[in-house]
Amino acid sequence: MPEGIYGVEWLARTRDDRDLAAWLELMPYARRIGVSAQPEAQGEGLLFRLDPQPGNVGNVMLPALHGGVVAAFMETAATLDLMLASREPRLPRVVDVSIDYLRTARLVPTYARCSLLREGRRLANVTVTAWQKDAAAPVATARLHFVLGDPANYQE
Amino acid sequence: MTSPTDADWRRALSRFVNVIPHTRELGLEVLEASPRLTRMRLPWHEDLLGDSARGLVHGGVLTMLLDTACGSAVLPALPAPEVCPTLDLRVDHFRPAVAGLDLLVEARALRVTASVVFTEGRVWQSGQGDVARAVGNFVRLGPRNTPPEFAQALFAEENDHA
Repeated sequence: MPEGIYGVEWLARTRDDRDLAAWLELMPYARRIGVSAQPEAQGEGLLFRLDPQPGNVGNVMLPALHGGVVAAFMETAATLDLMLASREPRLPRVVDVSIDYLRTARLVPTYARCSLLREGRRLANVTVTAWQKDAAAPVATARLHFVLGDPANYQE
Repeated sequence: MTSPTDADWRRALSRFVNVIPHTRELGLEVLEASPRLTRMRLPWHEDLLGDSARGLVHGGVLTMLLDTACGSAVLPALPAPEVCPTLDLRVDHFRPAVAGLDLLVEARALRVTASVVFTEGRVWQSGQGDVARAVGNFVRLGPRNTPPEFAQALFAEENDHA
């Protein structure tokens, strides 16, 4: 278990550095399914990517990605995006997730982009769109609510 | 085919989750299955964490588990096995699941219509109470879009698998 990190200073520093790799390091399930993040070519936002790993398959007949893995990818994207986009350093905790599956997700790279629709003092609303070859033909959309935890309260 | 017993369904859904690479690799186990209820166990593994500093399970693991359990619960509720992809899924996180404990899930099909199966599910950890619940709707693709191998794979004889 990592020690001396994940406190106020660590979060502020990694946030200033936009060090998403440091955040993903603490998310073993996100690493297992092959999530990565990079700054958008244009603009301020982040582009998330899910590797087409054989272990992410949920339907061998098609084959297609497991819908739950796509959901976990989108939830990871929403969490990381919010950690960077919030006004102050915050540790988001998911309250609810609603996901609509629009198309079969094939065994090819999947991308996601997030939008912070509302950031209140305690709660945030984030939407996520995921696509594969064509950004205009999303495979899924999701809407998530998070409680914005104050990192000062997570010192244990 | 005579109608499958609950033991047949438990074996059928065990095969179902064992054919799915993601759930096979995580060691998902079917404890119970019937047209009324499906219950599964996801054994604890370090890779399930979403916050290794605080020892909390990734919320996405719960979504994946609920999608799998609700989607599996659809099958015994249908007149005949049919491929039913997830239309939408809503997960409420009551509190984080913690490190070191198996995740238990149960799901049921509440209503089967001509085009959709409505389901619900919940996840808990031993002695910890419910951590999440889900409402998931699944689309019936119909017998025409269900390959005959689908039912055969579910109810194949155990010794057919060399």
